[in-house]
Amino acid sequence: MSFQSRHPLEGKAGSAVRAVDHLEIPRSVAIATVLSRLSDAAMVVAGFAAAGDLTMRNVAPGEWLVLSHVERAVNLERRLAALLADIAEVVDQSEGRVLLRLSGPNARRILAKGVAVDLDPSVFTVGQSANLRCGHIAVNFARSGENEFELIVFRSFAESLFEDLLAMGREFDLSYGFSGGLADQG
Amino acid sequence: MASFISCPHCGIRPKEEFTVRGDASVIRPEPDASDEAWHNYVHIRANPRGRTREHWQHVFGCRRFLVVERDTVTHEVYSVTDGGSR
Amino acid sequence: MTAYRLPEGGLVDRTTSLDFRFDGTRFKGHPGDTLASALLANDQLLLARSFKYHRPRGLVTAGVSEPNALVSIGSGARTDANTRATVAELYAGLEARSQNNWPSLKYDIGALNNLLSPFLSAGFYYKTFMWPAAFWEKLYEPLIRRAAGLGRAVLERDPESYEKCWTHCDLLIVGSGPAGLSAALTAGRAGLRVVLAEQDFRMGGALLSDSTAIDGNSASVFAEASLAELATLPNVTLMPRTTVFGWYDDNVFGAVERVQKHVAQPIAKLPVERLWRIAAKRALLATGAEERPLVFGGNDRPGVMTASAIGTYANRFGVAAGKSVAIFTNGNAGYRTAADLLRHGVGIAAIIDTRSDAPAVDDLKDVRIIKGAGIVDTMGGQRLGKLVFERSGYEEVIACDAIGMSGGFNPVIHLACQRGARPVWSSELDTFLAPDVGGGLSIAGAAAGYYTLSACLADGAEKAATIAADLGFAVTADEAPAVGEEVDPSFTTLWYVPGAKSKAFVDFQNDVHARDLGLALREGFGHIEHAKRYTTNGMATDQGKLSGVNAAGILAGMRGVSPAEVGITTFRPFYTPVSFGALAGTARDMHAAPKRVSPLHGWAERNGAVFVEAGLWHRSSWFPREGERTWRQTTDREVLNVRENVGLCDVSTLGKIEVFGTDAAEFLNRLYCNAMAKLPIGKARYGLMLREDGIVYDDGTVSRFGENHFFVTTTTGLAAGVLSHMEYCAQVLWPDLDVRFTSVTDQWAQMSIAGPKARAVVQAMIEDDISNVAFPYLSVGVVTLKGGLKARLFRISFSGELAYELAVPAGYGESVADAVIEAGRAHGICAYGLEALNVLRLEKGYVTHAEFDGRVTPDDAGFGRMVSAQKPDFIGKRLSTRYGLTAADRMQMVGLKPAEKDKTIRAGAHLLKDGAKPSTINDQGYVSSACFSPVLGHDIALAFLKSGRERYGERIVVWDRLKNEETMAEVCEPVFVDPLSAKLKV
Repeated sequence: MSFQSRHPLEGKAGSAVRAVDHLEIPRSVAIATVLSRLSDAAMVVAGFAAAGDLTMRNVAPGEWLVLSHVERAVNLERRLAALLADIAEVVDQSEGRVLLRLSGPNARRILAKGVAVDLDPSVFTVGQSANLRCGHIAVNFARSGENEFELIVFRSFAESLFEDLLAMGREFDLSYGFSGGLADQG
Repeated sequence: MASFISCPHCGIRPKEEFTVRGDASVIRPEPDASDEAWHNYVHIRANPRGRTREHWQHVFGCRRFLVVERDTVTHEVYSVTDGGSR
Repeated sequence: MTAYRLPEGGLVDRTTSLDFRFDGTRFKGHPGDTLASALLANDQLLLARSFKYHRPRGLVTAGVSEPNALVSIGSGARTDANTRATVAELYAGLEARSQNNWPSLKYDIGALNNLLSPFLSAGFYYKTFMWPAAFWEKLYEPLIRRAAGLGRAVLERDPESYEKCWTHCDLLIVGSGPAGLSAALTAGRAGLRVVLAEQDFRMGGALLSDSTAIDGNSASVFAEASLAELATLPNVTLMPRTTVFGWYDDNVFGAVERVQKHVAQPIAKLPVERLWRIAAKRALLATGAEERPLVFGGNDRPGVMTASAIGTYANRFGVAAGKSVAIFTNGNAGYRTAADLLRHGVGIAAIIDTRSDAPAVDDLKDVRIIKGAGIVDTMGGQRLGKLVFERSGYEEVIACDAIGMSGGFNPVIHLACQRGARPVWSSELDTFLAPDVGGGLSIAGAAAGYYTLSACLADGAEKAATIAADLGFAVTADEAPAVGEEVDPSFTTLWYVPGAKSKAFVDFQNDVHARDLGLALREGFGHIEHAKRYTTNGMATDQGKLSGVNAAGILAGMRGVSPAEVGITTFRPFYTPVSFGALAGTARDMHAAPKRVSPLHGWAERNGAVFVEAGLWHRSSWFPREGERTWRQTTDREVLNVRENVGLCDVSTLGKIEVFGTDAAEFLNRLYCNAMAKLPIGKARYGLMLREDGIVYDDGTVSRFGENHFFVTTTTGLAAGVLSHMEYCAQVLWPDLDVRFTSVTDQWAQMSIAGPKARAVVQAMIEDDISNVAFPYLSVGVVTLKGGLKARLFRISFSGELAYELAVPAGYGESVADAVIEAGRAHGICAYGLEALNVLRLEKGYVTHAEFDGRVTPDDAGFGRMVSAQKPDFIGKRLSTRYGLTAADRMQMVGLKPAEKDKTIRAGAHLLKDGAKPSTINDQGYVSSACFSPVLGHDIALAFLKSGRERYGERIVVWDRLKNEETMAEVCEPVFVDPLSAKLKV
């Protein structure tokens, strides 16, 4: 038997034209939750740094999300488990979380319709991440560039967040589309 | 009620990210404590006018239980600290 | 040229004409007009009927405090009722209608109330319609409401869109008049993040209507140049059409931006209104001051306005309020209006000054100035024709078609006093000022009591500089602009002009006149808050913006005290009305609440599921097939198929939590009331959680995957609550336990495959041996699906049948579910939904939150023996043994069967002994769940009955008050199918 994984936003056709403000849906991202004792948190962060190529998101004291755009879920989980053996637990969340990437000159203005945090780059800096509330929905939120933000949302809420973001971006003709994987054909 | 709570882990956040659990000053009694101690712990709460310590959980953020010390009259928040004593 | 449009001047674009309608009549105005200024230019002075007496009313102001000129704007679903014409920006195609009149504005039958007015004094309704009490609700109130009304709300769906937005700044400046603009320049140049909010569609505030020169030009030129500079500063945000309506904790301000209220056809991608929450490190109120009306006989006749309104209509809009205008003043400001009007070529009938010692004025030599006099009456129909003034006992009539009244100034301090601070009386300025409200908010310009242009400009700059320095910004001192000759704004307060020969109104919109306040005082309602409720002074849509201070002054005079002692009524948000649409923002329809969908949602859709909302989740409820006409037919088929063959049900919505740590077992042992510590690896166990008061909180399963690794499930409804509860226990109660957990609810698609043929179906899917020997009841493990996908398998059942729950990574859910259906086709598999799930569990006597309703102990539900007596502590242990929770006559869970098979039992019905009258004392219990059992062919129910377990076999009345039905039922054990659980363990 062979089984296919279906992205929860599968079936959203994508915009005909890509606008300056764009909502990207990376099709395959490996995501894992890492949990540690508060007392081991510094060691875990050092471990992430040592690995070099891992993208780490803050969730809470002793809890992180780790992302990989190149590794498969099982590989990421295995590598993290080896890297953090005895100091942290690793839980695969690749199928339970959905990453959305919003970029463009108006990204901040779009997000301000749902996010109460001050998004001035001097306040919420590039590289910073945290869990927060966007509209009605809890997300992990990161600034991946001056005008680029990544939102990681629970799979069951993904469609609602996606529709909310499109409504927030309507004023700026926000476009959207998948990237990576099979559907990345324009 | 405050518009913002300064979460020690996440930064300044709107109150809509939190849920209030209630009085943070009550301590869960030992299993063999008196009936009265347990009754007070489970059922009896003061409704203070003025300074109060409450547990607020940052449900949309780090999900930590925070101790928010605030004034129920002026709404001033004096301090926000992590509720766990680890 | 329309009748009252001045030949030149004003900030309207005379090269363009805008067509609009008022009460069906076509008029023309210009861009830059308000509806009010355009109507005034067209000699349409009569705009409204008053609330109580239906008196004809015209404009009083040129701004937000307007009490009279409330109109409905727009048509059909796009109608906005109670809009002030004075702030409604004119656009081509605007349609406005007057309100509160029948059959028309000119001939209003309700004006008969005016003739009855001797009886309609303050408190009249309270006194007259008190008895009999029932008449108030049924008769009096509806009649009064019909007679005294404002605009009508539209019942159609609002077609507009709205949204909310956050913004953050160092300094929020409210108001773009002289103080606000100069503050913005200072702060903006210093580099602060500045938001400058202005409620008007044109920024500039009083500068737009002030005839004083700045730097040799008109004040409006200065405003324009300043705004042009601010527009170039990237750190400054200009927000016209934005009313800051509320000041909230932590210096958050609420504001509403009217994005598209000034267009006939809104652009679909933009909201019509945007609600802003502005988080400001500092705020500066530069909200100006309102001119105070004078309270004199006949002061409500159309044509009587504040002098500053007349000045604004002339200077800003190029409209004359009349052809022969009288000025009635108690200070020097009125003279400036007269001079402005003369310069525009408008005739001045006279200046009537209440002060006998008014200073001489040079530049109004040809104008008749009457000092030490007061107007006592006015005449005219729908426009003023004459006034009567009195001086030293001598009366004279003067012809005029407008009166500009100038009674002094009230600083607009509302925002500063919305968080509990009370306004303080200034005997120097004879008005209320805001007290020092702390570092977050300062007040500048006229709002702080500085009434001259130069003082406002200087104060704004100075306050902004102080704030900038406080926030650590370097400020360079700029040269103050040169201001031309100014009027001394001093005045001599006169709260009430004596000798009134007709009503002297204080609150125009609510028809409160000076004598009403006297009556309130005589009847013991002299406190300002009492007087407000008794007379309704200040309760109209304008919230007493014009009338509040006058009412305080009049009451003070009557009581013989200072207004300081009387005080003023409380200022609360919103400063001006805010639409419900703006407050709701995008939160309607699909955006009202998130919709949570299971990873099997698409699969369920493809299989024809009907969905039901369960909290935020949309869950598959039943899967109708061709020929099935009701949900019952479908559900019965699904239930029987599970009992006879096999079915697949989506259970992905259950809360799922991974628990880790060397103390994970101990933690779960304390969390659940039953023993968990010794659960073997590879096994699952039913778990019951109590609240600390001994009542059942939630149930679920606990599975052990490793020594320090557990997996727990919760009910769908309490998933979030249980996670929070666990976090509280781990973080606050037992921080020394080494335990961590995270929700994986969304990571797994979980399907229950249940029925006698379940094993055959599941075995066909997976590599591992799942025979009863290799994988007995309550086994759990990681398995490999054929083809290599890793999955989790749980041998647990919520139907009483042989059942497996198969969990696969969420994205694979649909693909695997399709394969299960395919593998099960030979075994007669069907998809089943929540309804069938409910029937299956009821037949087996399994409980849900219909039973665990917050009143039930483990023993009540038959789980008494499961509660551990050995464990030293767990949540709920201590109070579960208290008296009351262990009483012998507690309601215990039983089963019910109708005595006659075709009778219905419904959940919510109460239980009574045969022959007993329904009463609280006779209540024996209640039905928690009920359904039709397709296996048994009749209704079954779970119920809670006093000492129920001793009463099996007894006949009892099921009393359904809602349906007014009584059904006899037999009490039985709460399990209807396979009581020995033989099917579970094969």
